[in-house]
Amino acid sequence: MDKAPMIEAIGLSKKYEDGVLALDNLSFAVRPGEVYAMLGGNGAGKTTTINLFLNFIEPTAGEARIDGIVTHRDPLAAKARVAYVSENVMLYPNFTAMQNLEYFTRLSGRPAPTPEALHRALLRTGLAEEAHHKRLRGFSKGMRQKCGIAIAIMKNAPAILLDEPTSGLDPQAGFEFIALLKSLRDEGKAVLMSTHDIFRAKEAADTIGIMDRGRLVMQRTAGELAGEDLERVYMQHIAGHDGLAA
Amino acid sequence: MLKLVIQKELRDILTSTKFIVSFVSCALLILLAFAMGAAGYRADVARVEAARRENLKQMEGLTDWMMVRNNRIFLTPQPLASLVAGVSDDIGRTMEVRGRGEMPQEDTRYGEEPVFAMFRFLDLEFIFQTVLSLFAIVFAFDAVSGEKERGTLRLSFANPLPRATFMAGKLAGSFLALAVPLLVPILIGCAVFTLMGVPLTTDEWMRLALIIGSGLLYFGAFLALGIAVSAMTRSSSTSFLALLVIWIFAVLIIPRSAILIAGRAVDVPSLDDINAKKFRYAEQLFAEDRAAMNAFSPADRSDPRKMIEEFQKFMGNINDARQKKMDEFSSRLNEERANAQGVQSSVALGIARISPATCFTLAASALAGTSLALQDRYIAQARAYQVSFAKFILGKTGINPGGGMVFRMRIGDGEQEKPIDTHELPAFEYRRPVLADVLPAALPDAGVLAACVFLFFAVAHVAFRRYDLR
Amino acid sequence: MFGTVLVKELRAVLLSPKFPATFAVCSLLIVLSVFIGIREFRGAAARYAEGLELAAQTLRTQSTWMNLSTTAYRKPDPMQVFVPGVDGDVGRLSPITGTEDVKLTNSRYADDPLFALFRSIDCAFVVQVVLSLFAILFTYNAVNGERESGTLQLTFAGAVPRTTYILAKIAGAWIALAIPLIVPVLLGILLVVVYGVPLGAGGWARCGLFMLASLFYFTFFVALGVLISALTRRPAMSFLAALAAWVVLVLIVPRIAVMAAGTLRPVPSVAETEGWIDAFAKDRMDEQMKALGARWQERQAPMQGMSPEARQAYQQSKQQEWANEDDAARQEVQKEIDAYRVRVNEEQGNRVADQERLAFALARFSPASAYQIAAMTLAGTGVSLKATNEAAMREYRRAFTQYAAGKQKESGTQAGFRITVDSQTGFHFSAPRERGTLDVSGVPAFAPPGVKLSEVVSSALIDTGLIAVLALLACAAALAAFLRYDVR
Repeated sequence: MDKAPMIEAIGLSKKYEDGVLALDNLSFAVRPGEVYAMLGGNGAGKTTTINLFLNFIEPTAGEARIDGIVTHRDPLAAKARVAYVSENVMLYPNFTAMQNLEYFTRLSGRPAPTPEALHRALLRTGLAEEAHHKRLRGFSKGMRQKCGIAIAIMKNAPAILLDEPTSGLDPQAGFEFIALLKSLRDEGKAVLMSTHDIFRAKEAADTIGIMDRGRLVMQRTAGELAGEDLERVYMQHIAGHDGLAA
Repeated sequence: MLKLVIQKELRDILTSTKFIVSFVSCALLILLAFAMGAAGYRADVARVEAARRENLKQMEGLTDWMMVRNNRIFLTPQPLASLVAGVSDDIGRTMEVRGRGEMPQEDTRYGEEPVFAMFRFLDLEFIFQTVLSLFAIVFAFDAVSGEKERGTLRLSFANPLPRATFMAGKLAGSFLALAVPLLVPILIGCAVFTLMGVPLTTDEWMRLALIIGSGLLYFGAFLALGIAVSAMTRSSSTSFLALLVIWIFAVLIIPRSAILIAGRAVDVPSLDDINAKKFRYAEQLFAEDRAAMNAFSPADRSDPRKMIEEFQKFMGNINDARQKKMDEFSSRLNEERANAQGVQSSVALGIARISPATCFTLAASALAGTSLALQDRYIAQARAYQVSFAKFILGKTGINPGGGMVFRMRIGDGEQEKPIDTHELPAFEYRRPVLADVLPAALPDAGVLAACVFLFFAVAHVAFRRYDLR
Repeated sequence: MFGTVLVKELRAVLLSPKFPATFAVCSLLIVLSVFIGIREFRGAAARYAEGLELAAQTLRTQSTWMNLSTTAYRKPDPMQVFVPGVDGDVGRLSPITGTEDVKLTNSRYADDPLFALFRSIDCAFVVQVVLSLFAILFTYNAVNGERESGTLQLTFAGAVPRTTYILAKIAGAWIALAIPLIVPVLLGILLVVVYGVPLGAGGWARCGLFMLASLFYFTFFVALGVLISALTRRPAMSFLAALAAWVVLVLIVPRIAVMAAGTLRPVPSVAETEGWIDAFAKDRMDEQMKALGARWQERQAPMQGMSPEARQAYQQSKQQEWANEDDAARQEVQKEIDAYRVRVNEEQGNRVADQERLAFALARFSPASAYQIAAMTLAGTGVSLKATNEAAMREYRRAFTQYAAGKQKESGTQAGFRITVDSQTGFHFSAPRERGTLDVSGVPAFAPPGVKLSEVVSSALIDTGLIAVLALLACAAALAAFLRYDVR
């Protein structure tokens, strides 16, 4: 009944050459069909965690696993199983949305996609059809982010990593994004989402983790947090605040 | 996956405004170089023809081949020289042939018309060496750092893409996207060249193809270098600054300074000194001969004509003897100087070859026949011509031409003497080198260029392996 | 307000990697070029001294006034240290003889073609090519870079007048570029002083004007960069446009201008004009020979029927008269040939000057050519180098041959060889008697035409003025473009 974790950190630590301890013994797991929201301030270690899962850096201790594959030992195999949407999606400005999507889909190892499939993916993200053949140079942030998600959709990987996906989106776009996220989760994808957005995290996540200075200081399921004020919980755990004076 | 990355690179470059602007500018320049080269060549040919005509004209009406003075030969223009000027504008193009002795070269193009020396020519070699290398840098400087700044690097490597594949795709794709389109204006230029009436032999077409090939190698080297530097820096502006400095040194500074500094380190006997020595020796010999001439007394005093003939033969003999001594003396001094110059150029050019720009210029000018070897070839062919000219005059007059005073007496018996037929005079045509002649000189430099390409290719791969993709 | 923006601008540039890179590169290049310039000049001066010595020696060893010949040398100008110009392309010396015309031969590059392959690196080149490139690098994102980073909008949310802002920007870039120029030039001047290059007061004045032209020159490119930056929205575009402009102005226009002038106003080659002169000379010589022959026939006439002793006596008495007659005839012909030669040379000179004027007019569209022209004019190593020296040498040749002819008459030696053939007296040959070495102390020496400060300065002021005007126009255009710029 308990599925094997799709995205898993086991005692993950990262110490940089200048001595900064970015991650300290981080352990968590995201199962298929689960959305894990990772909250934390700037410099808490969220981006470092994602970079470790993508093998952009190597851990000083512990393991990062995608679908049971240890990323720093078998990076290519791991990367085949994970999709990534960065915070500020920029892509190739000369290419159209379709061309960008086609390139990155093929790069992911999938066979050449049909134009219909590409259109479908873009439409699913909510990108209007007129924009599909327009060059990315003129796109707003929301439109570009939709392209980024379409790339992840086309890759159809069991694990998805999202870095600050709702930052800078207007309320409508944010709402659409959460709906899309939930549908991906319902497809059985495992989603790790790093975010500042407490509101959206409460809305979409199945599990919420709070990171502070490289350590996971709290992890609760959505059910456990149901009645609480997530903001207060957050403040409590960050920098040892005893919460706001009530 | 390599093919995919190459295709992406091709599309990315070819659809950018940067490419359209740069490519059109380069294409225009290339066409301009071909057109102006063709026009220049035809003008040069016309000038040499006019000079030749004048040269023959001032011989017309002469009644005696012995009276032929100022037989001038000219370095016939080579079509490839209008594309790769080399040193063809710096060496003397005219030589006065007297049948024996030295033939100083005169009338360099730049010496005759200093305004050209001031601004120089826009030849294909200049465009390749200076403009195309800059063009390569403009595209290569943000090859990697640009993708990083854009975030596409991260996105690409969130996929099972080996780093080596990405880098190889970048290098191959950039080269294809930039070099192949350049072939279009080059081919059009070649057509323009032919249409404007510049005849190239098959051998010259092959040499031109090799020149263009070296140019593309040179371009590839700068492209690879640019991508390598881009794979060593985080920001595009840093990599551009670094590449600009490298370009300034490689293309503008190193060739010049290396030659100036290393060249002056080798001692070459001064030409003024040698000429003075020759002059003094000639004076000395002439003074000796004058004494002999004063002492001459004809054997047969019966007939004035016979006396004159005898005197002529006597003069001929002492001229020959003196000329032989002069030749020996001169050739010894000349050889010393030539050897020293050879050492000097080996040292200077050897050091200058650090820069791929030097290698390209040397390879291109060797192939075009306008390298330093042009001077040697011209002199050698002129000497051979001088020998055939001397034989010709000997055949016509029975006396060896050249050297000091020529004695010819006109006996006014009122007989009508026939003017010489100037068309009998052997003509000098500079024989252009063929591929087999120039390849040994060009190959090492082309080899260095190819080595540069491989080296920078390897450096790019190694640098990128350690590149922070985040 | 101006001060605030200026200080910010300076701080921003000085702290970016552009400044140390520019400073290092320009310092190295300018000092290197001055160093090389000094070495080359000293080499040229040594060769000049050696040449004078050789000419004096050769003069002393000649034994007859008849075919007295020497060599005139072009004197190197100390300003060559900074701007060698066409000094390497124009011949260094000319033979001075009674029979040949003056022609400058044995240029540095013709003697040693190795150095012609890549030519020289000099101060003017560094400023013209390298400094202008760095000027573009400094300013291509002056306006649109600030727009992109949002600071432009922020600035103009306050009460900053646009004019003040853009002028402070230009001034900031200017100062940041002037430092890498002025500091190494001062070092270069130090080198010049230490190595004892004899610049003289006139030389220093010309140096000063050269610096002024250099400052105007890079001002143009600073303004051009700012202008292009204020015309485009994205720095990537302005960078490409500025680079393209640089390539066209610095590399392309000067060369095309001169090639166009060569095609539009072609000049016959020296080989051709020499051919004309030779043909003319040959014709006159022919006539003279015929006349000489006729004269000798006449001279024989009175001697018919004389006894051998009477004939010899008659010949000896008439010898001097006949020699003078023949000399006079020969000189007459020589004068004609010389006059023709002068005319041909004059016409050729006019044609060349025409071509040069057209080339300059076309080239002056680019400040790079104007700068080059100004620099070479100041150094005395421009296109006039050849014409001026050849004219002076021709004057000298006149004086020299006159002197030699005078001396020859004095010494009484006959010009030319004398051959008499007579069926009675037989064959008689006489060469000019040798007098041992001559006293050549009185032979006039060649006075190399120096650079006339007033001429050179007034001529260079035209081009310097042109650059200044272009720089001013560029600044005005930059200002105008910025006033209309959308800061969002």
